[in-house]
Parts: sequence; structure tokens; C-alpha cells
Amino acid sequence: MTKRSSLNLNLDLNLVLERCRTDPPNVLRTLLAVQEAFGYVAPSAVPEIARTLGVTEADVAGVLSYYPELRMTQPGRHLVRICMGESCFANHCDRLLTAVRSYLGVDLGHTTPDWKFTLDRIHCLGNCGVGPTVLVDEDIYGRVNPADISSLLDTYR
Amino acid sequence: MTRLYLSDDTSARAAGADRLARAWADAPGVELVRTSSRGAFFLEPMVEREMPAGSGMQRAAWSNVRAVDLPRILAGSDGTPVSQIPFLAQQTRVTFANFGVTQPLSPGDYVAHEGGRGLDRARGLSPEGIIAELKGSGLRGRGGAAFPVWAKWEAARTTAADRKYVVANADEGDAGTYCDRMILEGEPYRLIEGMLICALAIGADTGYIYCRQEYPAAARTIQAAIEEAEQSGMLDFKGARFQLDVLIGAGAYVCGEETALLESLEGQRGVVRAKPPYPAVSGLYGRPTVVSNVLTFATVPSILTRGGNWYASMGTERSRGTVVLQLGGRVKQPGLVEIPFGATLEEVLDRFGGGMAPGARFKAVQVGGPLGSLFPASQLGIRISYDAFAEAGAILGHGGIVIYDEETDMVELARHFMAFTADESCGKCTPCRIGSVRGREILERIQAGHGQPGDLELLADLGDTMKTASLCALGGRAPYPVLTAI
Repeated sequence: MTKRSSLNLNLDLNLVLERCRTDPPNVLRTLLAVQEAFGYVAPSAVPEIARTLGVTEADVAGVLSYYPELRMTQPGRHLVRICMGESCFANHCDRLLTAVRSYLGVDLGHTTPDWKFTLDRIHCLGNCGVGPTVLVDEDIYGRVNPADISSLLDTYR
Repeated sequence: MTRLYLSDDTSARAAGADRLARAWADAPGVELVRTSSRGAFFLEPMVEREMPAGSGMQRAAWSNVRAVDLPRILAGSDGTPVSQIPFLAQQTRVTFANFGVTQPLSPGDYVAHEGGRGLDRARGLSPEGIIAELKGSGLRGRGGAAFPVWAKWEAARTTAADRKYVVANADEGDAGTYCDRMILEGEPYRLIEGMLICALAIGADTGYIYCRQEYPAAARTIQAAIEEAEQSGMLDFKGARFQLDVLIGAGAYVCGEETALLESLEGQRGVVRAKPPYPAVSGLYGRPTVVSNVLTFATVPSILTRGGNWYASMGTERSRGTVVLQLGGRVKQPGLVEIPFGATLEEVLDRFGGGMAPGARFKAVQVGGPLGSLFPASQLGIRISYDAFAEAGAILGHGGIVIYDEETDMVELARHFMAFTADESCGKCTPCRIGSVRGREILERIQAGHGQPGDLELLADLGDTMKTASLCALGGRAPYPVLTAI
């Protein structure tokens, strides 16, 4: 990363953080706002976040590491998530997971080499009546068969 | 112009409702109205229209609709009157009476279907009067703890403070449950009305809805409803405006526990607090706070409108009113079932679930979410009530019912439950934090073929420690699904 682009990132971060100055400070809200803007929360941003909110870096790091939905690395262009909740589990979502891992060539928590897809799991989207469920970004798919996986993901290529 | 009703509920969309809407966007003579869902998800995408019946009109429905079915629907052929769909007709819809009928963000629809009348009545009662109505209803929390709602409100009412809060728990983390999601997406004003009635009873001027991040459509809809309510004056009382905000979670199951939720609202790690003090006395920022489940708040308006005694006339001795069950898994007819407490589990699976999905053979059913116990075929005679389940060491939880078939390996299922607890543990209590990992390791060893004599006794012993020494139900209940699966 060039010095110029890292300067821009810093300015954008400050813009986001300015909107998060509340009394009392809310660390989780702030981290969610940073992730909304950048796609993830870089650990290198923790000191600046702590300074703006008037809390310790440990406070910020503690919240950042606690919540599954907060990411510390840049995700791929599309986030593919398989629901592993009990109803989808009963509907054999493990077979969907096998199909997706095979199609993408990566395992849970990893991103394809072309940076197009990140694969993850999610626990319950409330689609239990129409499972098993696959979520790609904000698009929800129900009653998914393993055989549907390739055509489903092809539309995102 | 023919008016057709199609749901925009997330599950209806997952079933293909939006594809229909796009296909029919320019269809001549069609006016497409998006409504909440009836909750008969095995029929979605479902399309309805008014058809003549006797001297009036009634709704007729077409199920599992594809785009090519449009001419058939416009001709009015082969539809089924909604009143003749057994899954729906056999229910006692109280809280879910308007689902499938109204448009979620239409204040006009809401008012035309008794919306707002509970709040009107509450405005004319004293705080004590409102709580008396709740007490008469026998309403117990629908999130899972089943605590008497009136007692929680009373504790908050009688605790003096500079400010008080009403918090709706919209985390709905139990997999297999979706009734809160349906309420947020389908009748958001009902949740707002219930929260305002609570605010009047306890003396609160600020409220929050903590909505799980996995429900983006629900969060958007309730946010839009709040903005509309601000403009229409629904949030005005005592010369001030009730401040109501939606805050989003970040994927932690334990934040569905009320004290962990409060920690998360305050922006911290969602770690469980010791009780006492109870949130009703010292909750958000140390102030009296009523934290209740979305369904609990959504049940309140009807109780004010029709009276606590009316609500208490349904159900069983200590489980009054209606229970909202959500069927999922390998059942033939997944969907939402609202009935009085008291039916047996078997009756629910047969009369509403319709048996197993084609080709599937019953193995076990889990009630109450990932911490719920599993029941084999021989134990389905249990009655749906809080007491009957408590006696059996089981829980109704938030009403989730998931059916597993013969193709599900019970050891893998038990491992899944233990791993879930290990992942979601907040870490405060050693038995939960470490016990869940050890439990998962034992099960993985068994799966790898290296099971040892005494493994099951070890699991049971581990379970006892977690049950007795955990601060919350995550550690406390974790052993049950594991041991009943085995």
C-alpha cells in the first residue's frame, strides 16, 4: 500500500469515527460503523478507535474479538454463507457445505485465490420453514439442493 | 384490475416470491400487493385473491406458485379458500391473526384490523391498571424463561429512577424459530404498540429494539415502522415523544440472554451478568429496564384490547393463552402454528406438521432451540405447556420444533450441539467455557472410533457440573440436547 493511499484510509476512518462520538461511547456501534464503511475492521485501526472513543485499546480489541460478525480481514467480493442452524442441519445442510467447498475449492473461513468468494457459515437466518439456506451477500436462497450450487454461484461470477 | 396478494416475508422470498413479482411486474390487469406471510411456509410462494363466496367475498389461495400459473389465477380456477386450508383453519390465531392479510407498513391496514386499540385503552388506565390486566392474563415470557410478565413490569414500575427503559429482544438466536422475524417484517406496529403499553406501565421514555444482524430485512422494516410512527404521532405521550431506536447485533447467540443483551447494547462484549440485581431493577446503564421478547410484547395489545381474562380463558392452568410454535426440519408442512397451550407434541406433528417430508423417516424431534431436549417417537405424548416440559427436564424455549430424520447421525448431532455451546460461550463460567470444549473432544474421539469405556459417564458427569454451575442457560442447558441425542 502506498503512503498516499494509507493516508486516505486514515482520513476516511476519521470521518466515520467522528459520527461515532457519543456519550457514553459505544464500542460495538463504532466497530459496526467501521466495518460498514470498509468491509472489515483492521487491527491497525484499533488505537485510533480507542483514542476517539476515550477507551483503552484493550476495550476495543476485546469487543472486536468477541463478535463473530466482526471481521478483521478483508472479505472477498462475495460472501457465501451456509446456514448451519438446527432446522437447516436437519435438512442436511452438510451436503450443501460439501458441494460449496468442492465448487469453490476453499474451506470455511477462507477466500478463493481470485478473491471473488469468501466461504463462511451462519447460524440462523430465520428461514427454517424454507431451508436449507444459502446466503450470498444479501441474497437469500431457500430449499437449496447440492445440485443447485454451481448454477447458483455461477450467477455471481 | 385484479388485486393479487403475495408476501414479501424473507422466507416467502427465499421460496421465490420476488421472482414472481418480477415476472408479473408488467402483467396487464394485475395489481400486486405485498403482505406479511400466513406462515404456511410449505405453501410459499402463495398467491391470494378475493373471490365471491355466498353473499360476500373470501380469500382464495394458490400454493407453490410459478410464474406460468398467472392465467390460472386470473381466471380464478383451482384456488383453495384460505378458510379451508387445514393447517391454517385448525389454528387459534390471536397474535398472528392479521398475517397474510395486511401490508406490514400500512398504518391504515393496522388500524383497520384492531391495531392501536390496546394502546388507546392503556392510555386510559393507570400503570397499576395496565399491570393488573397483564396479571389477569397469566402471560409468561415467550423468549424462553417463561417468567410472569406482570411481575417483571411491576418490579420496574416500583423502582424509582431518573429514567427507565423498554427493550425488545429481537435477537431470536434459537435456530428453528422465526416468529419474531415474522412479526418484525410482517406487523412491526404491533411490537411498537406492545412496547408503548409497557412504557406507560413502568414510566419509561426510551426504548430499544436489539435486532440480530442476521435479520437485515426485519431491521429495515421495523426501522421504517418507527419512522412512520414518529410522524403519525403514535409515539407521542405525556407531552413528549417516546424515543425508540433499533440497534443491530453482531452474531453472538448468547446476546439473546437478557443481561448479555444489555452489555451488548452498551457496546461491550456480550457477557452474562450475575442476577440479582435483575434488569427490571438495574438494567441498561443501571436503570430499571424491562427486557422482553418480541413475541411477548406483540401479545400485549390483544390482552389490553380484549382483557386479561379473555386471554387466560385459553390454555392450561399455568400456561395461559396461546403458544406460537414454529415447525422446521424434515417435517412435511413447516410453518407457524398458533394454538392454545395443552395439545400434545404428537398432535402438533400430525395435525399441523402432516408427518414427515416425502421419503423421510422420523428419528427424533427437538423442542426449544439448540439447548432443547430431543424426544424419540415413544415420548411424543407430552403436553405442550411450561410445567409438563419442566417436569420432563425439557424446555419449550421460544417454540421451535425441529424434526430429524433417520439420515441424521445422532453422535454428529450431539457434537454439533457441544461445538455450538463452545463457540457461543461468553467465557465467564469455567464449566461452560471449558466443559463444552471437553465435551466436543470426547464426541469427536467417539466419532473417530476411539471411544473408551466410561466416555458416556464422563459426558454425563461433565453435564451435571455445567447444569449446576452455570450463570445462564447456555451452560445450564447445553448437556440436555447432547445427552438426549445420545
